[in-house]
Amino acid sequence: MANKSVWSDNRFWQRSAAWVTGFAAILLIWLTFDTSGQISMGSDADLKNGVTKRVPGPTVINYKITYEMDTKRGHEVPVIGAKEKFFGRDDYSEKEAGDLLHLGKLGSQAKNCMDCHTLLGNGAYYAPDLTKAWLDPAWESTGSMQAMTGKNTKEEAMAEFLQFPSKYPTHARMMPNLGITAAEAKGLVAFLKHMSSIDTNGFPRNFGKIQGALNGK
Amino acid sequence: MASNHLKWESKQLATWYFTFAAIIFGAQLLFGLIAAIQYVMPGFLFEIVDFSIARILHINALVVWMVFAMIGSVYWLLPDETGIETVGIKIGKLLFWVFAAAIVVVVLVYLLVQVGPADETTIWFITEGREYIEAPRWADIGIVVVVLGFIGNLYATGMKGKPTGIVTVLMADMLAFAGIYLAGMFFTDNISVDQFWWWWVIHLWVEATWEVFVGAIAAYGLITMIGAHRKVVEMWLWIEVAMLFGSGILGMGHHYFWIGTPEYWWEIGALFSALEPLPLVAMFIHVLYDWGKQQGAAHQRGEEGSVITNKPAFTWFILQAFGNFLGAGVWGFFHTLPQVNLYTHGTQFTSAHGHLAFFGAYATILIGMMYVAIQGSNGIKVLKHTKSSIAAAWMIAGGVMGMTVALTIAGYVDVIVTRAQMGATWAGYFDGHSGMWMLQGMDWRLIMGVVTFLGFLFLIKDFLSTGKNAVHIR
Amino acid sequence: MFEPFTDIVPSFFGWLNQGPLTLTIFLHSFIVLPMFWIYKQEKNRLENEK
Ligand code: HEM
Ligand code: HEM
Ligand SMILES: [Fe+2]
Repeated sequence: MANKSVWSDNRFWQRSAAWVTGFAAILLIWLTFDTSGQISMGSDADLKNGVTKRVPGPTVINYKITYEMDTKRGHEVPVIGAKEKFFGRDDYSEKEAGDLLHLGKLGSQAKNCMDCHTLLGNGAYYAPDLTKAWLDPAWESTGSMQAMTGKNTKEEAMAEFLQFPSKYPTHARMMPNLGITAAEAKGLVAFLKHMSSIDTNGFPRNFGKIQGALNGK
Repeated sequence: MASNHLKWESKQLATWYFTFAAIIFGAQLLFGLIAAIQYVMPGFLFEIVDFSIARILHINALVVWMVFAMIGSVYWLLPDETGIETVGIKIGKLLFWVFAAAIVVVVLVYLLVQVGPADETTIWFITEGREYIEAPRWADIGIVVVVLGFIGNLYATGMKGKPTGIVTVLMADMLAFAGIYLAGMFFTDNISVDQFWWWWVIHLWVEATWEVFVGAIAAYGLITMIGAHRKVVEMWLWIEVAMLFGSGILGMGHHYFWIGTPEYWWEIGALFSALEPLPLVAMFIHVLYDWGKQQGAAHQRGEEGSVITNKPAFTWFILQAFGNFLGAGVWGFFHTLPQVNLYTHGTQFTSAHGHLAFFGAYATILIGMMYVAIQGSNGIKVLKHTKSSIAAAWMIAGGVMGMTVALTIAGYVDVIVTRAQMGATWAGYFDGHSGMWMLQGMDWRLIMGVVTFLGFLFLIKDFLSTGKNAVHIR
Repeated sequence: MFEPFTDIVPSFFGWLNQGPLTLTIFLHSFIVLPMFWIYKQEKNRLENEK
């Protein structure tokens, strides 16, 4: 056979496949190391010294968190502000805050939150996204959810709702009672507060900025 | 599935896997229907089988039946490819029962226990609460052991017999497939780290290892069902492997836009995943081109009639070529650029893509392999369509396509109202979800889901009866 | 010539991310270019086989 083309040669493609796969895998592993370093949790010292971490340490629950436009990066980012009380305290130690977060993260899995809600946008689509739930205006002192539960702070209102969700229906589609205890609810709220402080590159866009655009009569 | 015509034990074992897979497929659809009803009537089974539980069962059953059918497919094709009986078949049979029993226990616990206290025992014994891989840790470990046993058999057989290109690809691919599962087995307090590794399992399965798997299965199908040339088919297979892994591995970046991971993933994720549809186009062309070529050649030889020796199976293989391209390629590309994904991320649109992609790429070809097994088990030379097999293909494919369209329309409402207009808050979510297009979209999804399920009943009827049908050439 | 990081933590990949497409074009090239070398080798092999 004269001039057999390399393009129709199995060995050429086999070797190319091996190279491409191997190299892409190596790049992925390298990127994973790089990313892992960047998304490891910060510490209490980082927070005190104002070091920005993509994922702050658990003691972020001692601070006020807001979500603001960063002109340099072109999207909103969480901003960690002054001290703020969380269940009456703003001096949780690294250990205490870490335990709360641990309890909350375990709780989020043990109750299958992700199978109705999205967390960081992943999960199910039957209920609202929880990425920035802590910052939702509905839970603020002027918000409808806080008013409904009759509590005076955001964290207490959220904890109350989590324990007795079907007592506080907002729509025909309700959250079921998942047997969440008072301690677990506190952990879950800490977990939500912590999640809202994660730098998600501007997701969700315009969170909580627009109210009543649709039904704004 | 009668097995008196099977001289290979490996193929008998394959029929067990296929049978179990078909049953779980039915369970998947039933729980999907429950979840879909709850979208329309939220009170349905409230605090009895909540949406979360129905959904867990729906998508876990999905993964489980597909894994069973994949293992079955490998046991089926191994003797044909290697020319020898599968090594370690006794272990294979034992592992089947272990696997099936473990699945039953996991399902019963999901259904009856549902949730647990916020501690490690729940993670070990009830649920891990991570979408698709909720299976508790004891089951994770069991699954790894069982799958390693399967891979042991595959390697032993591949090395002892003739390692064709198809078997070589499968050996490498199945090892990666199992290895990746390990990334989903640990607990961390850091939700960003959690989701980073969670995607290793989900994305590297469906957009890398499973795609390569179906490439290999399609290659086998083309050789056995229409007599395509092995050399050509295997060349395409290697090209597909290069393109699939080349784009799919780093394409994982399209899940790292918003979970706390650095901004450089925007570029990597966007542009590698944007190439992912290319191999799917290649696979599509390959299957249809080979079919045309073989048919044309037969025609020139003066042979009348079709070259296809298994009509229903080949129909599902063709549906796979379309479904993979549309569901993964087109619907996937829709939302893979960060500029778009910022608004579509985690909406009904994602669900539209998830349905058409999983169905189109995997359910189709695995149903096709079940027909291949029915043909072999009954010693049939040419398996033809029956009324039921045609009804099943139309209703299942049409039903899923209908659900996808309904979800895509609902997705636009979610994207525009919930996300773009209202900024994704609690109130915004419910504004989106009470819009007329959303409500009607959910109605249509349910209707089309029922069509899908009726199609499934035809499929089962056909599975149980077609072997005895006189229309086939024996 | 070199852009400041827009990302919050400097890193090698962040540095390659100099503007639209720089990072991804670099990675794609690095993956595809060696295939020319594989091509040449295989071409030689096929010619020698004859
Ligand atoms: C009777 C037909 C079906 C019905 C009624 C149905 C219904 C549903 C529902 C209600 C959900 C939850 C979506 C949400 O969280 O909002 C879901 C999720 C899902 N279903 Fe189905 N389904 C059906 C068939 C299928 C089939 C045939 C497949 C694939 C072969 C499939 C794959 C999936 C996947 C992958 C998800 C998760 C989607 C995601 O997270 O984006 N379903 N289904
Ligand atoms: C057969 C192959 C594929 C399957 C089975 C599949 C399945 C899925 C599923 C089930 C999800 C939702 C995951 C969740 O529940 O959170 C998803 C998400 C996604 N898929 Fe695919 N996919 C496939 C191929 C592709 C391809 C080829 C692309 C791009 C070209 C793509 C792009 C995406 C994107 C961007 C998301 C994220 C959606 C979001 O942000 O909510 N997929 N895929
Ligand atoms: Fe993906």
